[in-house]
Amino acid sequence: MVLRAIRSLWLAGSIVLLTSCSGGHNRSPPDSQVIRLWVGPNEAEESFWKVAVVQWNASGQGLPVSFTTIPTSGNSEDTVLSALVAQTEPDVSTNVFSGFAMQLANLQQLEPLSSMPGYADLIERRHMTKLIRNWQMNGNVYAIPLYSNPALIWWRADVLAKYANHQVPRTYEDVYQLSERYAAAEHHYGFQVFAGRGWEDRWFDFIAFYYAASNGRAYIENGKATYDNAAGLKVAAFMDRMYKQGWTAADFDAGDPLVSGMTAGAVHGPWDLGTFQRLYPETLKNIVIGPIISDFGPEAHRATFADSKGIVIFRSSKVAKEAFAFVSWVLGNEQLNLLWLQKTGMLPARDDLLRNPVFADFFATHPEVRVYATYVDVATPPALNENTIDIQKVMTQELVGPLVYRTKAPQAALDDAAAQTDKILRIRQ
Amino acid sequence: MRRFIGRISETQVGALLALSYLLFSAVFWAYPFIWLTILSFSDWRYFGAPRFSGLHNLLVVLRDPDFWGGLWNVIRFFSIYFPIAFAGSLGFAFGLKHVGRGKAFIALCFLLANISSGVAFSLVFTKLFSSTGPINNMVFSCFGFRIPWMSDPTLAMLAIALVVAWKFVGYYGLIIYSGLQTIPRDLYDAALLDSTPPLKRLFRITLPMINAQLIMVMVFTILVSFGIFTEPYLITGGGPLGRTNTPMMVIYETAFRRLQPGHAAMMSVIVATASYLLIRITRKLLERDVKLA
Repeated sequence: MVLRAIRSLWLAGSIVLLTSCSGGHNRSPPDSQVIRLWVGPNEAEESFWKVAVVQWNASGQGLPVSFTTIPTSGNSEDTVLSALVAQTEPDVSTNVFSGFAMQLANLQQLEPLSSMPGYADLIERRHMTKLIRNWQMNGNVYAIPLYSNPALIWWRADVLAKYANHQVPRTYEDVYQLSERYAAAEHHYGFQVFAGRGWEDRWFDFIAFYYAASNGRAYIENGKATYDNAAGLKVAAFMDRMYKQGWTAADFDAGDPLVSGMTAGAVHGPWDLGTFQRLYPETLKNIVIGPIISDFGPEAHRATFADSKGIVIFRSSKVAKEAFAFVSWVLGNEQLNLLWLQKTGMLPARDDLLRNPVFADFFATHPEVRVYATYVDVATPPALNENTIDIQKVMTQELVGPLVYRTKAPQAALDDAAAQTDKILRIRQ
Repeated sequence: MRRFIGRISETQVGALLALSYLLFSAVFWAYPFIWLTILSFSDWRYFGAPRFSGLHNLLVVLRDPDFWGGLWNVIRFFSIYFPIAFAGSLGFAFGLKHVGRGKAFIALCFLLANISSGVAFSLVFTKLFSSTGPINNMVFSCFGFRIPWMSDPTLAMLAIALVVAWKFVGYYGLIIYSGLQTIPRDLYDAALLDSTPPLKRLFRITLPMINAQLIMVMVFTILVSFGIFTEPYLITGGGPLGRTNTPMMVIYETAFRRLQPGHAAMMSVIVATASYLLIRITRKLLERDVKLA
């Protein structure tokens, strides 16, 4: 009896297994009458696209768009890559950073958008002539930046009032003085120098500081590290001194140091405004925003890092031209750019934010976002390189790490990092 | 159909049941392993057909300092983790043997750590051990200094080893406890009659008698050391200075960030071979066939 039951169970199991395995061949081909769009997986972006897509579909200007957030619980890049391998990618995706776009372009997975009809008109209409230069890869543009968020420094106004005469620190010397006073009086730290241990954290410490010190000069050019220079040394010496004096900590993992007052200043992007408004509204009221520090004069309009994500069209798309028409319509529409700003608090990648009257009312009522907007023209995205991760891992292990843990002098750390970067880039060629 | 089922003999049923396992292994082990081996010698970047590239991937991996740093970190991790986990699980097993009531409850408490989400407890530990976290704040207020748990290369590895040991001590302890339960009482009685001191009883009776369980725990610690990913990835991100970077992290980054699955496959083959050889050597040197006369 038992034997018979086992036999039947095994046969039933085999049939179920074989039936389910054969299901894969029945996948229906992608619908070429709809533009499929993936957008950044967060509520703010989703709420923007909801409105934009409804407007486009109602206008009847082209193929209808169907959108969904990137189906990920973690990293967008992993999901996009998996979709490409499984051939389930959409026609268009947002949330693509320049390094990833470069990788996908090299793997011939992206449409060169600069070859699309209407591209030049879009760049002119959106006032992106200057910004788009940083997105050119081998003479083509594969991703058009949707937003460009400058990294700036948030300072606690109460600490500045007490220890810096209400003055926002702008130079290294300003930060030293504030740190010395704050550390001596309250055993806290003057400034969060080290943004974190991940390779991507270098965007918010060394690279941001280097752009400020070098007027936005590239740190990688022609497959070689270029930060081993006077500007790089100034930044390295600043980091070294902060750690040497004990004015900053090796990590602030326990919680946001600005909220606890553990530090007086830290690098933040405009996306944090919404987060702080929701979680720490009292702290946000006590924040003043200043430029990335450098040793230029206090009035200098110094460069900074731009956290920027772009929009791409995949080469597999059967409706690439129609998709570009939609992308062009969204990006070139000033009212939608304003809506993006209102919904996400992130700055549309355009050169005329402060000159264009469409955005004037918004900036008048959101002075903190306006501060960020004043730096869009000098905010520079990461180096366009397929090996972003290696470049920034070397920067972490050979340059920033040794300064944080005080195992190398600034010049030696810079030399080692540049040499190691060149070596790695040679291997990866 | 009914007649067909009726004709299947008991031996055939056994074969069919075994076939289910073989099928499972073929789909989830053999197929990926064969594909991995092919990939290790191919030039393939997710799209198009793989092209045979000979030893190119091996040469690239041999020159990759990240990968070799990761393998060196396995040795560093093992040298810290093994003594902690081994001593902890032995202590747990011996302790559990002497517990009168609530044995199941205590075992369950220790096992809870093993089934907890690695991501969740890594985040909790990160906040606890942070240089500005509660432990360090307390140390600072009492003694005026902070312990660089995450920023000192050796302490960072120790912190990870402690976290992983916390997770596995209960599990390993139960394996050893099961071995202790099988040792005949007569052996200890005979030793007591001979007035054998406790340490001698431990080294001459207990440990040799649970050799199989000890080897099993040792094999598990080797496998954990080679396969560790979640804790260093979340707690230290491989830092400081790459001193907690592990081969699994390098493989993940190579495959999914550098988009070089061929290089990652070659790394996997090297790691698998190294761990297999180490386990073989361990078993050859330490495994004993325990027989009661």
